[in-house]
Amino acid sequence: MIEVSGLAKSFGSVVAVRDVSFSASNGQVTGLLGPNGAGKSTTLRIIYGLLRQDSGTATVDDIDIMAETRRAQRAMGVLPDAHGLYVRLTAREHIAYFGRLHKLPEEKLSARIDELLRLLDMQSIADRRVEGFSQGERTKVCLARALVHDPPNVLLDEPTNGLDVMTTRSVRELIGELRSRGIMVMFSSHMMHEVARLCDQIVIISEGIVVASGTTDEIRDAAREDNLEEAFVKLVERVLETA
Amino acid sequence: MHAIRVVFGKELIDGRRDRRAVMSAFIFPVMAPILVYGMMTFIINMRHQAQDTAIPMVGLDNAPSFVRWLEEKDVNVTEFKGDPRLAVENKEVELVAVIPNDFGERFAQTRTAVIEIVYDGSRTDAMATVGRFRGLIREYSSEIAALRLIVRGVTPEVMRVVIAEDIDVASKQQRAVAALNFIPLYIILAAFVAGMGIAVDSTAGERERKTLEPLLINPVERHDFVIGKWLAASIFAALGVVLTLILCIVALVQVPLDQIGLNFHITGTQILLMIIAVLPLALLATSMQMLLGIFARSFKDAQSYIGLLTMLPMIPSFFLMLNPVATQVWMYAVPMLGQHLLMVEVLGNKDVPIIAYAYSSLASVVMGLALALITARLFQRENII
Repeated sequence: MIEVSGLAKSFGSVVAVRDVSFSASNGQVTGLLGPNGAGKSTTLRIIYGLLRQDSGTATVDDIDIMAETRRAQRAMGVLPDAHGLYVRLTAREHIAYFGRLHKLPEEKLSARIDELLRLLDMQSIADRRVEGFSQGERTKVCLARALVHDPPNVLLDEPTNGLDVMTTRSVRELIGELRSRGIMVMFSSHMMHEVARLCDQIVIISEGIVVASGTTDEIRDAAREDNLEEAFVKLVERVLETA
Repeated sequence: MHAIRVVFGKELIDGRRDRRAVMSAFIFPVMAPILVYGMMTFIINMRHQAQDTAIPMVGLDNAPSFVRWLEEKDVNVTEFKGDPRLAVENKEVELVAVIPNDFGERFAQTRTAVIEIVYDGSRTDAMATVGRFRGLIREYSSEIAALRLIVRGVTPEVMRVVIAEDIDVASKQQRAVAALNFIPLYIILAAFVAGMGIAVDSTAGERERKTLEPLLINPVERHDFVIGKWLAASIFAALGVVLTLILCIVALVQVPLDQIGLNFHITGTQILLMIIAVLPLALLATSMQMLLGIFARSFKDAQSYIGLLTMLPMIPSFFLMLNPVATQVWMYAVPMLGQHLLMVEVLGNKDVPIIAYAYSSLASVVMGLALALITARLFQRENII
């Protein structure tokens, strides 16, 4: 469970996040929706402890992230914006490295890696160095290492960006699977249909503030539009006009 | 501790598979002894050539006693026919000695006799022979002068009002080491070259490949990341240093140093002491490189800074070569200078107090740790990702 309230963050004179509040509960998929530069990534980075907010609070499973960053990080699995891999390590070594950084005991680690390789259907590439992996294969490695410690909260920053149809599908299936196991899943996206299809709750951010949040229907009602995309555009433009 | 070990293990595997890092780590140790061998062999050959001097001469018959004297000195005197100037200009010979027809006459009348040396002053390679021939003439001249004085009942000492007597306290071994001064420099450079690839790859490289953000989301303190990476890079630097040291010594033992009057012996203990002296520098070299690596945005960026850093270890060594001063205890505590001094002294088989090792190691380790902690502080900054 993640709770964010009154979050604000500036870089010099640039205000990235002005006022963001929402809560994401366990067993639910929360979509963070917003145009580029709206403050999605900054909000997520504050949640996974890479940035410190100027004001407001963020907690994960009731742990204050700023006060107890490492403890909070243990409760999260993250697929960040940067999808970098170590080109000379194999897929399995990537997952093992992150598992060990999470202090997973060795015997548990190898069983968990096999489980993840099966879940993400990547047994055939497990022992190949990641150099030359396709975009989809790389994303799978990133997902597997994010999930290696079986976190109760999973955050995905634009997980389907640049993926082919098959991988996009398996990511969606994975999100469904995590949700059914009672895990909190949050992901950011700018793809409307994906968010509409997968999310129990949507949080729309623009210009660093939450312009609307709720279920798909609630968002459509708030904007008085039948189409989610239209609703999104209308809500975002409303903020831009007042800004 | 656990996290440091995990990061260390991963960086070692990653580094070992990095061809670029391994090449830069191990080309240098292999190149160094080849250079040492080549340089020493070159020096020995130069001396050899100087020893069997050949002098083409015009007018041998004008000074038969001088020619005989030269031959006793193992100088190969040959009769020269033709135009001396032309032959020297065309580089057929290095020099031609011309003994004028009046040489015998003047010699007999105890007037100053002349020997002309025809040479090309722009040919540096010929100057060694010219210099040696001049020396021989001077030697012959003073020998004859002394004899002439004795004949006249005057002691030859009137010619030598004051002379200098050399009392060289350096052992033969130490003199050998002075000639081998560049070897400690090589070994110190190895510390900077061998760990560089992995030090840069695990800092600037991590940023460049966008692996830093996912890495830093793990619940690990930033200084644990830095220390793990630092130690892994230091292992590479240490291996490079040990390899360079051993290969340089193997090369030296192969060179017939006794032929140039150098007496060089080395024992296992001396090698071990040199390794102990220089190893802490590996920690300092890599922490400097990591600090620069974290400032840089990319691998290329970092390499240009670190290229300059590699000049740094040369400064104390050149300082020592150009300005030999009495060793003071504080000098051991100056990184690179301390290591250089220790290695020179161990090579020269001098007794080095334990405190010197303590100062030099402590200084490098403490400075290395301090720089690593500064790097860790920079890792804390938000704009690192």
